[in-house]
Amino acid sequence: MDFLDELKELGVDVDKALKSLAGKAALYEKLVKKFPGTAKEYYVSPDFGDSETDDAIEKTHALKGVAGNLSITPLYNGYSDIVQLLREGKPEQAREALKKLIPVQEDIIKCIENHI
Amino acid sequence: MDNKGTVLIVDDVEINRLILKEIFEDSYNIIEASGGAEALSIINSSRNISAVLLDLLMPDVNGIDVLKAMNKNGKIKDIPVFLITAADDQDILLEAFGLGATDVIMKPFIAHFLKCRLGNVIELYKYRKKLESIVKEQTKRINEIMHSTVEMLATAIEFRDCESGEHVKRICLLTEELMTEVSNMYPEYHLPPEEIEKIVSSAVLHDVGKIAIPDSILNKPGRLTKEEFEIMKQHTIKGCELLSSIPAIMDQGVYSYGYDICRHHHERWDGKGYPDGLSGDEISIWAQVVAVADVYDALTSPRVYKAAFPAQKAKDMIFGGECGTFNPKVMKAFAKIMDRRQASTL
Repeated sequence: MDFLDELKELGVDVDKALKSLAGKAALYEKLVKKFPGTAKEYYVSPDFGDSETDDAIEKTHALKGVAGNLSITPLYNGYSDIVQLLREGKPEQAREALKKLIPVQEDIIKCIENHI
Repeated sequence: MDNKGTVLIVDDVEINRLILKEIFEDSYNIIEASGGAEALSIINSSRNISAVLLDLLMPDVNGIDVLKAMNKNGKIKDIPVFLITAADDQDILLEAFGLGATDVIMKPFIAHFLKCRLGNVIELYKYRKKLESIVKEQTKRINEIMHSTVEMLATAIEFRDCESGEHVKRICLLTEELMTEVSNMYPEYHLPPEEIEKIVSSAVLHDVGKIAIPDSILNKPGRLTKEEFEIMKQHTIKGCELLSSIPAIMDQGVYSYGYDICRHHHERWDGKGYPDGLSGDEISIWAQVVAVADVYDALTSPRVYKAAFPAQKAKDMIFGGECGTFNPKVMKAFAKIMDRRQASTL
């Protein structure tokens, strides 16, 4: 199975991403391969403290945007929910959602890193 | 140098910058900034930025901060700013629009639409700049023509008055010198240079009402009778009537002081002037200044009824109250100018 098919298997909307990049598959691959680095840079631990909520909003918001632009739909949806929960002042529910999302993110990163 | 415009992409996330760069680099030169502070430094030092794509939420200096700074330095009027955001917080977006943002691009973005929207706005801004420059040039030309017309009118009246046309020029010069001195010496009379410039231009019109005075009075070699003097005094009011009938001149900012100067340049500090008998600071400072300039020039120039007095004699006559009473503060400024002029001739 090729790289983009593997991503599709993990729920990434590759067709949509390619459409928004005028069908440039090589460019999409180049961009998506940068995602693991961004994910690490903006990583938010599910154990973040109450005093770290602003930082958590900033980082999950950034990841939401990147996931959206690369059409990594499961992460885009997941981070959208988490940002929303944090903005509504529900950090406990956000932590729970983050705990569930991180394994999904790890699978996608692993898939990408296998092709770097 | 190519003719491509330059687009500044501001986003703290490299992937977002790369995607945007990819979309636009065929049509524009791209500059990237990874934060608000870097973006502002580029905006402030570059002249040719066609558009800014600005992420809203960034650490340290965020998109709103960048917009605020662009408002402060006026750049927001010249450069279209597109907000890039995944946030749907309406309050932030409203604040951003209130600060002059052009449009919002929601993440995830679609390349084709983005290209069209940005291209359209850049074209509109280019067109607007071109129109602004044409309007500016034509306004300048119209003002020059207007100014020449007004000067021609003032000079024509002077010729009737057996003057050479130099009186108006000298009055303008002394008005500028005296108004600047008064403005610098007394905070209560302070005016910015652009207002002083308008006063100087308006001073040209001070005697425009003399066009309505009969030659027999205007050019009478001897002393005017009481009746004749009453008619002569009418030049202040007639001038205002004339100016009111030419809104094309009076609506020009440059002549905004003309009416007041024309009407009140014969008023005196003690209330003994004409036509309204104003006293003290009821008389605008510009009318007071033109009054001194007018009297000094009349004294130092030859007239059909008298020879020119030397500068020192004219100064003594003014300070001695022979030409009416003037504001002591204006007199102090006038004395300073006279001393300066005297020193420069030594």
